[in-house]
Amino acid sequence: MTDLNLTSRDARPPLGGWLPGVRLTELQTAVLNAVADELIPGGDGFPAPSEVDVVSFIARYVAPAGWEPRWFPFFGEDHLRARLEGLGQDFADATSTEQVRVLEGLEREDPEFFTRLRDVVYHAYYSRPEVIRAMNRLLPAAKDYRDSPQPYGYSDVMDDWDDELLARVRGTYTRTEDVRRAEIPADLPHSGRTAQAQLPLETADPLPAPSAG
Amino acid sequence: MAAHTETDVLVIGAGAGGGAMSKRLSDGGLKVVCLEQGDWIHPMSHPHTYDGWEIERQRSWSFEPNVRQLPEDYPTTGNTTPYIYTGVGGSTLHYAGAWPRFKPVDFRKGTEHGVEGTIDWPISYEELEPFYAINDAEIGVARRTGDPGNPARPEGWGPASRGGKVGHKMATGFDKLGWHWWPADNAILTRAKDARLACNDCGFCLAGCPRHSIASTDVSYWPKALRNGVDLRVNARVEQIHAKNGRATGATYIDRVTGQRHEVRAGVVVVAANSIGTPRLLLMSAQKGHPDGLANSNGLVGTHLMFHSWSFVDFWFDEPLEGFKGPEPAVLYSQEFYDTDPSRGFVNGFSLQVGTALGAATSALGTNTGNIAPWGTGHRKFFNEHFGRHALIYVQGEDLPVRTNRVTLDPEVKDSSGLPAPHVHYELHENDRRLVQWGVQRAQDAAEAAGAVIDTATTGIGGIDGPPPGWHIMGTCRMGNTPEDSVTNKWNQTWDLPNLFIADASSLTTGAAVNPTSTLQAVAVRCAEYIKRRHRDIASQTKTPSNAEAPDL
Repeated sequence: MTDLNLTSRDARPPLGGWLPGVRLTELQTAVLNAVADELIPGGDGFPAPSEVDVVSFIARYVAPAGWEPRWFPFFGEDHLRARLEGLGQDFADATSTEQVRVLEGLEREDPEFFTRLRDVVYHAYYSRPEVIRAMNRLLPAAKDYRDSPQPYGYSDVMDDWDDELLARVRGTYTRTEDVRRAEIPADLPHSGRTAQAQLPLETADPLPAPSAG
Repeated sequence: MAAHTETDVLVIGAGAGGGAMSKRLSDGGLKVVCLEQGDWIHPMSHPHTYDGWEIERQRSWSFEPNVRQLPEDYPTTGNTTPYIYTGVGGSTLHYAGAWPRFKPVDFRKGTEHGVEGTIDWPISYEELEPFYAINDAEIGVARRTGDPGNPARPEGWGPASRGGKVGHKMATGFDKLGWHWWPADNAILTRAKDARLACNDCGFCLAGCPRHSIASTDVSYWPKALRNGVDLRVNARVEQIHAKNGRATGATYIDRVTGQRHEVRAGVVVVAANSIGTPRLLLMSAQKGHPDGLANSNGLVGTHLMFHSWSFVDFWFDEPLEGFKGPEPAVLYSQEFYDTDPSRGFVNGFSLQVGTALGAATSALGTNTGNIAPWGTGHRKFFNEHFGRHALIYVQGEDLPVRTNRVTLDPEVKDSSGLPAPHVHYELHENDRRLVQWGVQRAQDAAEAAGAVIDTATTGIGGIDGPPPGWHIMGTCRMGNTPEDSVTNKWNQTWDLPNLFIADASSLTTGAAVNPTSTLQAVAVRCAEYIKRRHRDIASQTKTPSNAEAPDL
């Protein structure tokens, strides 16, 4: 198909994020992995976020220096680097209990940043093929779940309607000629007459009878 | 003026109304220019094949123009954030294609109760039905006929979308209660049509459809309209509609690529810029003889904005329902409580629509109701119990048309061309609040009848942030019965200017308790047929005829 689009691509958030993703330093990577591993602990057959490279996913969605972070998760490169540096080596080296305490503090004191961080980690983790394989294996409700909606879709594993149930459906509707004045609940606030006071609202049939066809 | 073009009909907006209008007018040999401020969507712009497909709905496929901030979007201000998409196809590029019809009673709500700004439609269901049928055939509706709760509908292009485990589960609940239900009609191909592929149940409808199974007008109507010779100009942002001597004469637009202005002169002007964009444009077009905007001598342009009254209720069950499969609009609906019963304490009624979930990230992030999997040690258990075991019930209520719910111009905020942003004010009426509260109880009844609910969450009344977020935007230039109660006559002809027509959801007199696109498009097709057949009459009119005096089709 011919691309008829004339709009500049620079004005839109790139699908899949920016390539190459922001290259975090070793320390920044360690801190982000440690945060992610506390947000979604591995275990029970599920990998830890740090084992499935959530960092690369997140890095693609960080607006590179020079780009205004106008779109979710609203992380600018410089800002995110600084925040991760702020947590620093101490956080990366801390015990799990200490890390949780720091994150609880962050959640309390800077809920906007924490929420964005949590949300992007959830998005990253649950996009990873290894995680989806674990879901397929361990959760009966996820046995057919795929990495992306297309190209396969789910028609091959989709249940159809139950004709027996459908045969029992009852229902009715009010025909045009059967519409009657209803009693308006007495306690209903109703300032309506001002909007079209000239309309003969009280008459049973203010309009000519509808014609068929 | 840098340049001008002359045409029979100028259509403003290439979305649901404008696409249908342009195609049908050009079928009849009329020369049509259509102006669209957005652009074409490339199939690769859809996120369905990317590993980060779910995150993209927070970015370029956000429902909110204020979040996307694309150059073709215009900002909106006010107390709520309407969901609008800008491009060839308009907001049909970003809808799920739920395709119910209004019911006969919906056209007679003035007769039934007349509460607040409610008036009767100037036409009946029976008068609109032939145009529903034409439009259904054009877009390729998926349908199972036989719903006893509605007038008979013609066979679909394909069978209804399959219901999956969610459909079966919730149908069981409605069946147990003896309530009406039926598989939903969808504007989604279940059989290939033209160059469009059949749906493969991928489950991710609300980010456009790369298979073109969903009937957005860029794939349903526009290929045929272009073949008919319609001159569709993209990136063409209309600045003003012009009028002279009681008639519209055309419009000036800014080419967003070059920045140049062009004028299109036309015998008929049709505005189809959605229920916020249309009043915005009419108000922006204030000029000599029309100090309050075009078609606004009675002050009704922009008023009686309707969004539907909503609550989303998520339910999680103790068994796999696999809601990541199958189309994202309604799987099935119940209209057991559609009609007014004053003993409930409110007028009007609602549909209960059963919907699905999305993927793993959306599930972890609270599905539709902010029920977020906790971080830390509780995460795994919560996620494992919730993923794929979910069904959604939308309580979709009819909201009253209220005069003070309205679109005005924001004097401060501008779009990227310097044109004023629309300001949107919406508050839920007490009637509608009661209606949704009562409806949420019925949703819970249905879920409990269906099986063991292990968890539930709701957006509350009206959407997550208080006022409904405006999925369905309707009524701001409504068609009506007299020049005092509406903006247009029964042929969508503005009372002030006989050759200026409104052909989008703005023209819906009331909103019913169902998704509006099939109805707004049927109204647009009917309006197009009128312009096509009555072009000569319209050309000689200096005054808009009353409904009784207007020539028939």
